[in-house]
Amino acid sequence: MTSTNQITTPDYPKETGLAIINSKAPFSSNHGKDALDIALIFGSFEQKVSLFFQGDGVYQLIADQDGSLVSIKDYLKTFSAFEFYDIEDIYVCQQSLVNRQLEEVFHIDGVQVQTSSEFSAALNAHQHVLRF
Amino acid sequence: MSTLHLVRQSAFATNDFAQCLSVLDHQDSIVLMDDGCYNLKHSLMDSLIKRVDGTININVISSHAQARAIETLTEINHIEMSDVVELTFNHKKVITWQ
Repeated sequence: MTSTNQITTPDYPKETGLAIINSKAPFSSNHGKDALDIALIFGSFEQKVSLFFQGDGVYQLIADQDGSLVSIKDYLKTFSAFEFYDIEDIYVCQQSLVNRQLEEVFHIDGVQVQTSSEFSAALNAHQHVLRF
Repeated sequence: MSTLHLVRQSAFATNDFAQCLSVLDHQDSIVLMDDGCYNLKHSLMDSLIKRVDGTININVISSHAQARAIETLTEINHIEMSDVVELTFNHKKVITWQ
């Protein structure tokens, strides 16, 4: 019996970096702040980090919010520091915005609004995922 | 008799607001506070406003909505937290949906 031992591995693109999924609204829990802290820590160690906003997490990106009105230190303003930490890949689920009747107006630049399939493809290109 | 419903969660994330509406009586009042303010943009709110046609008192804490950059609706009263005290006295019971 002859065996050729031809193992055919499908040619997947290499999965790299950390993905952080934000799924909670900004002011009623610490999840958004915790996710931000993790992102900045990875960024400061020059690790590749991408941010994903899905479900109620999309509210974290909406413009003209003001946490001081509800006595909350507004960590959302720190989002504008992402570029200094080389965090450039910020993805938002378009369907989540549509469901919540939100415009694509964000308080930071460089946000990529993606369809469900683009969003999942971007997420699946990462090696590790943390969800908040 | 009458019940005051304090809605504190987003209907996009939890089932609480739907459960609240399922037990809502015609002399009840609703207060949207904290993440409950997001329900202003939920389809359940559109259908509620159509269904009750002004007979149910619907309120939102204005600072909570403003903090979240949510535009409010004309059919809904804007109140402060201090007004909730009076509302609790004007109703027989209070249910907090959180």
